[in-house]
Amino acid sequence: MKDNTTTLHKPVKILDGIVMLIICIVICVALYVLGITKTFSNNTMRYMFKIFLYITMGTMWNLMSGFTGMTSLGQQVFIGIAGYSVAVMTSTYKMSMWMGLLVGAVIGVVFALILSFVLFRMRGMYFAVATWLIAEAVRLWFNSWPFVKQGAGMTVAVKQIPKVRELYIYALTLMIIALIVVYALLRTKTGLGLTAMRDDADASSSVGVNIFKSKLLCYLICSVFIALCGGLFALQKGSVLPSSSFGIDWTVAMVFIVILGGVGTMAGPILGGIIYVILSEFLAHFPGWSNIILGAIAILVIIFLPDGIIGTLQKKLNFEIFSQKRLSAPKKSLKQKADMAA
Amino acid sequence: MGNILTFEHVDAGYGRVQILHDLSFSVEEGEVYGVIGPNGCGKTTMFNALIGLIIPNKGTITFNGQNVTKMKPDKRCHLGIGRTYQVPRPFEGMSVYENVLVAAVHGANHNEKTGREVALKSLELTELYDKREILAGELTLLDRKRLEIARALGTEPKLLLLDEVAAGLTEAEVQDVIKMVKNLKVAGYSIIWIEHVIQTMVEATDHLMCMSDGHELLIGEPRPVMESKEVEEVYLGVEEEDEDE
Repeated sequence: MKDNTTTLHKPVKILDGIVMLIICIVICVALYVLGITKTFSNNTMRYMFKIFLYITMGTMWNLMSGFTGMTSLGQQVFIGIAGYSVAVMTSTYKMSMWMGLLVGAVIGVVFALILSFVLFRMRGMYFAVATWLIAEAVRLWFNSWPFVKQGAGMTVAVKQIPKVRELYIYALTLMIIALIVVYALLRTKTGLGLTAMRDDADASSSVGVNIFKSKLLCYLICSVFIALCGGLFALQKGSVLPSSSFGIDWTVAMVFIVILGGVGTMAGPILGGIIYVILSEFLAHFPGWSNIILGAIAILVIIFLPDGIIGTLQKKLNFEIFSQKRLSAPKKSLKQKADMAA
Repeated sequence: MGNILTFEHVDAGYGRVQILHDLSFSVEEGEVYGVIGPNGCGKTTMFNALIGLIIPNKGTITFNGQNVTKMKPDKRCHLGIGRTYQVPRPFEGMSVYENVLVAAVHGANHNEKTGREVALKSLELTELYDKREILAGELTLLDRKRLEIARALGTEPKLLLLDEVAAGLTEAEVQDVIKMVKNLKVAGYSIIWIEHVIQTMVEATDHLMCMSDGHELLIGEPRPVMESKEVEEVYLGVEEEDEDE
């Protein structure tokens, strides 16, 4: 018992501070400036647009799976619903794209709310399979629904098609908001409970964590942001199809991003999103092979870096960024202790 | 003083398997209430029913004057029921301090600042203070058991449920646990303690219940219960002829 006190842990270095904040702000401002001043070429901005949205989706999937233990394989349902909302609002009702995005987000939340009553009774595998089946069912529904032109899909008909630069700005803004929301959420009391839930749901409920409320909050946040991503993708592509809008590839990409970057870390999905988009653009030159290669990479990462790139780095080098860690002794009380000892 | 907890004719189980049969007992405020019984007699199931992981099909559970029979676990925790698990279940990815902080913040409705004091006090009571920044997943078995208690204390319970906290410990460590429980009693907690280590039950409890087949077999002062014929029988399985249903 006594000898253990000598192994008193070298504490984890938490690199979040004023410096980190400044770096983040500088990067964000730079990204805005480079976009607005057209320093980036249209092609670069198209990549960046994808990167921003995939980071957003990865972050959301991470919030659900990495923190609340809800491993969903059906998040594409929100992409599809939002994409179709944009298409229907703009082409059938001749409204603006903003209306389309708003309606998509609202329907996404309402849909998530209804699903939650069924889904939250399940855990683990059952939850994953149920979410997937629901997404498939919705796809089949859209495939035969005359209102959305069945399997032929719809086009997005906005008066002025948003320029690449505008889409870039929207996606960047969405990503920044998403990251701030998730970071702030994890720093709250609810966030502390979420981290506990991730480790053991039953034990966390017996120390007072309200599991249903926490899960619902996360699920709703995810559905809003993923729906907004879906809406923006639809705007960029200009059309929606049941097979591609509700395809499981969306969720597969989110899973890949999170596993590659590191489950349960804030920085993981950011790095994962960047790598995923670059990799998938590169692999587009090798049609047919791309999914096999992505799959192989995922397997290798799971075997050799089970904590993902960021997770492994943090463990090896004993640091954390965008940490949700709570330290027991802020500087003040350490000083008090020293005073008492003196 | 009044009763802090009453079980009245409780039937409960998992799915179709019924484990508790017509279980009734009551715990007085401020006492240490020991529970013994052979393996599989429903001691841990009783805890699960008490904290709300399973809901009884029959009977009522009254805690502190309030009917909690069908209440959710987190609600009961807020009312003041704190439990430890027989097999420790720490939040492995969090530090020892964070484990207890979760309990203080969610279980006792503190904010993170005031919760910190509660958490540190719990860690001191359970001698984990020096290890507070270690990841809970890296603790030894003894320390995990300590953490179970610290986390339960973090929720500021009125009633503390200890599930075999002395099992698997050495003689000296068992003495430490007995001392810790006595201190907790002095500090005003009511305690229900499930244990197989007989010594702890005789030394530290005020009342002792022996369970058998999900039913209370005998309740009374610790020593007479220990020495009774019935208890000897269920443990040694002398006579099994009155097997029912």
